[in-house]
Amino acid sequence: MRARALVALAIVWAIAAAAPASAQEGKKVLRMGWAQEPQTLSPFIDQDEEDFRVWSINYDLLVNFSPKDLGPTPGVAESWKISPDKKTVTFKLFEGHKWSDGQPITSKDVKYSLETFAPNSLLFPSYVENVTSVETPDDLTVIVKTKQPDARIVGGLFVYILPEHVWGKQSLKSLKGSFRPKPPIVGSGPYVVSAVERGRLIRMTRNPNFRGKKPAFDEVQWIKYGNDDAVERALTLGEIDLVPEVQQATFARLKKARNIEAVSSTSPSFTQLTFNLCNEENCPDAKFNPAVQDVKVRQAVAYAIDRKRINEIASRGTAFEGHGLLPDYYKAFYTQPSEDYALDVDRANQLLDEAGWEPNDDGGVRAKGGQKLSFDLFVRSESPANIQAARLVREMTAPIGVDFKVQVVSVDKLTELTTQQVKGKIAPDFDTFIWGWGGDPYDPGLLLNLITTKAIGGSSDAFYSNPEYDRLYDQQSGEFDEAKRKEIVGQMIALAQRDLPYIVLTVDSALQAYRTDKLAKPKRVCPEPDGDITCDQVGYASITALAPAGAAATGGGGDDGGSGLMIVLIVLAALAVIGVVVVLLRRRRAGREAVELEQ
Amino acid sequence: MRLRWIGAKALGALVTLVFVLVFNFFLFRVMGDPTSQLARLPRASPEEIVKLRAYYGLDKSLLGQFADYAGDTVRLDLGVSQRSRRDVSTELAEAIPWTLLLIGTGTLLATVLGTWMGVIAATRRGTAADDGLLGFSLFTYAAPEYWIGIILILLFAVALPLFPAGQQVTPGAEFDSFFAEAADVAEHMVLPVAALTLMLLGQYFVIMRSSMVDVLTEDFVTVKRATGMPWNKVVRRHAVPNALLPLVTLAALQFGAVAGGVITIETIFSWPGLGELTYNAINDKDFPVLQGTFLVFSVAVIVANLLADALYFLLDPRVQSA
Repeated sequence: MRARALVALAIVWAIAAAAPASAQEGKKVLRMGWAQEPQTLSPFIDQDEEDFRVWSINYDLLVNFSPKDLGPTPGVAESWKISPDKKTVTFKLFEGHKWSDGQPITSKDVKYSLETFAPNSLLFPSYVENVTSVETPDDLTVIVKTKQPDARIVGGLFVYILPEHVWGKQSLKSLKGSFRPKPPIVGSGPYVVSAVERGRLIRMTRNPNFRGKKPAFDEVQWIKYGNDDAVERALTLGEIDLVPEVQQATFARLKKARNIEAVSSTSPSFTQLTFNLCNEENCPDAKFNPAVQDVKVRQAVAYAIDRKRINEIASRGTAFEGHGLLPDYYKAFYTQPSEDYALDVDRANQLLDEAGWEPNDDGGVRAKGGQKLSFDLFVRSESPANIQAARLVREMTAPIGVDFKVQVVSVDKLTELTTQQVKGKIAPDFDTFIWGWGGDPYDPGLLLNLITTKAIGGSSDAFYSNPEYDRLYDQQSGEFDEAKRKEIVGQMIALAQRDLPYIVLTVDSALQAYRTDKLAKPKRVCPEPDGDITCDQVGYASITALAPAGAAATGGGGDDGGSGLMIVLIVLAALAVIGVVVVLLRRRRAGREAVELEQ
Repeated sequence: MRLRWIGAKALGALVTLVFVLVFNFFLFRVMGDPTSQLARLPRASPEEIVKLRAYYGLDKSLLGQFADYAGDTVRLDLGVSQRSRRDVSTELAEAIPWTLLLIGTGTLLATVLGTWMGVIAATRRGTAADDGLLGFSLFTYAAPEYWIGIILILLFAVALPLFPAGQQVTPGAEFDSFFAEAADVAEHMVLPVAALTLMLLGQYFVIMRSSMVDVLTEDFVTVKRATGMPWNKVVRRHAVPNALLPLVTLAALQFGAVAGGVITIETIFSWPGLGELTYNAINDKDFPVLQGTFLVFSVAVIVANLLADALYFLLDPRVQSA
């Protein structure tokens, strides 16, 4: 087959007509491009963003994320009831709903997903860590019991509901090993994966049994390109309709491109300046400059940093200024902290004076008792934006007599510095670093957890420990009432702002772009009104809402040849001029040198 | 005598191969621990990372990992990709034909065009044609292949949308016949093959030109001309075959350069061959795949060199008597 193909290609090569394949006519296809493809599409072992992009269309959760504010909205479950002690939640599933292969969706599937899939998967175990039992009194009822009240059970249970009749056939060993699901991948979402051509394409076709409104596109295609530039070029050429993740560096250019709209939306991720606050008890072997643990120093640094400028320069204005521990993406829980550290260099100097950090006479680094305010500031070599931010931090804090030594290191090195252990205890070796975190779509727990005491040795990288904060954390985790929870979260943010284990510099943005001649203007959702246009990695609600642009625009695709031809002509003319000059120069020299010598 | 010479060369190649195998293993371990990336994953707990490390055998000592690697390689079991969880041999088997197609076509075009241009330049030495061809090929030789690739895309895919800018076939297209698909692939091949050809062309041209210049000044050419043989015929029948010899070595030696260039070209043009596989594996720190592609590249270069030696042996009587 391959040999035949090669031979035939060699023959056809010369006579190949420039006729593009047009077998897609009549079918409405939404084409999206990416530079990375999912690993295997098995939720047991995969861990990439691209996987979440596909899964979030292929599957429902027990309770989905609402595109409006990401709050709980029916998924596989139609309704739910929380017991008075908040430790039991009873879900009622939709009646008569079916998987894409026609089998009914039942409580068995939910039980399998929560009890077998999530705990044995790579990415989902923490969501069910508090679940003690999943009972299924009948096909449409699921009773979930937890050790202690866990608000994530409604709205934060980010566990895809998989069909038990498909996945249950595989042994756990195989599922945790090299099992790869074969298309068609049975699901409950609006589109299900019908074909995977590795290195090329993932095709998702409409699920005939989808419970929601029939989506406008017949098919969704994910097309793999060699790199991000190629993806964005494909968009400008009209080969694809939408790019779910655009690079910061090219965002501005795409924004100006014809027939393309580029959208910057808020996200659950931030970039922070982290301080090493590990105490003697938790990390006896940690290495750091003790001055970093003086809260006045951190507050002074916070006052000296112009976060707006960091966004404008390091993130090219595509991100958002950070205001405290949570991004404002968390509409339901976010409140802007009253202590926000707006730029105030005088206040910064005053704080350091008060704390006894003596200014150096020649305007250099402040010191106290031989201890200098001089810190290592580590950044990852792979993030130009973080490196730029680190340089800005250094520049901004120099006038207040604080010296940051920017050190660019590999991801591995930085991971080692922040997670290394000595005698079973964490032993971080840094003063400060800049890196980022991303949270769940609705539940703020993951981000709030980063600075709890029990996260030390786990995801904590500032090693902050405050019993009051820990108490509030536990309290909010069990609070199902949004308004009450928001109030507790507000107190936690205030504590974090006072003690500053993190200075959140910027809230990262989700950057997307689409062709206006191919797609009707999409609504900004997830969350409204400034979220993205696809509910990227979160859910399918907005994918089903996307529709082709009006019929008038179908002839489009690619730029017109007019200006293009000019560019080609100019380049060819330039090459010709260079050629003539080269020839003339050589001939002149040849004339002078008489005849070349022959051996 | 002959057998001994060939045998010595083959043994040398084998030793090189073993060295490459050992070197590859340690080279990739220097790049860092692939699971350290997982430590930053908010959704993965430390216990899960330990499990994952055990699954890939990363918890064993370096020597233990090497023993696994050596044994598996001898059995031609190249392991499982850490990313796609498919056999590395499957990944390689899918990628190799595409790379061969690209390199094969590109090398063929470059040798034919380069040789032809070299003959023209050598026989018209000192004319505008010679200068122009020399300038052109020095330019394409000096220009980095990624630059050539991007310029080709900008000119012939973006500014003047004549050819597709990437991939090997229109994504998502369904073809009625094998020939329709082949035609589509051929169309997608134009730009990457052009980039590869331009990258290789210069060397063939320069070598052919100087080799021809040498041959044309030799006595037998003068003698042939003196017999009254037409100039064209002298060139075609007698000069070109004699001048071709250095090209054989060049074609083999260039294989290394081609392997390097093909990584960039395939990445730029999203061509799903060994180059793109390597590029992605580097990004993902997918050691098994990287080792696989490096093995294929090394074996290919070693074999190409051995082949060049053998060909030389056949073509040039002087080597045989040496």
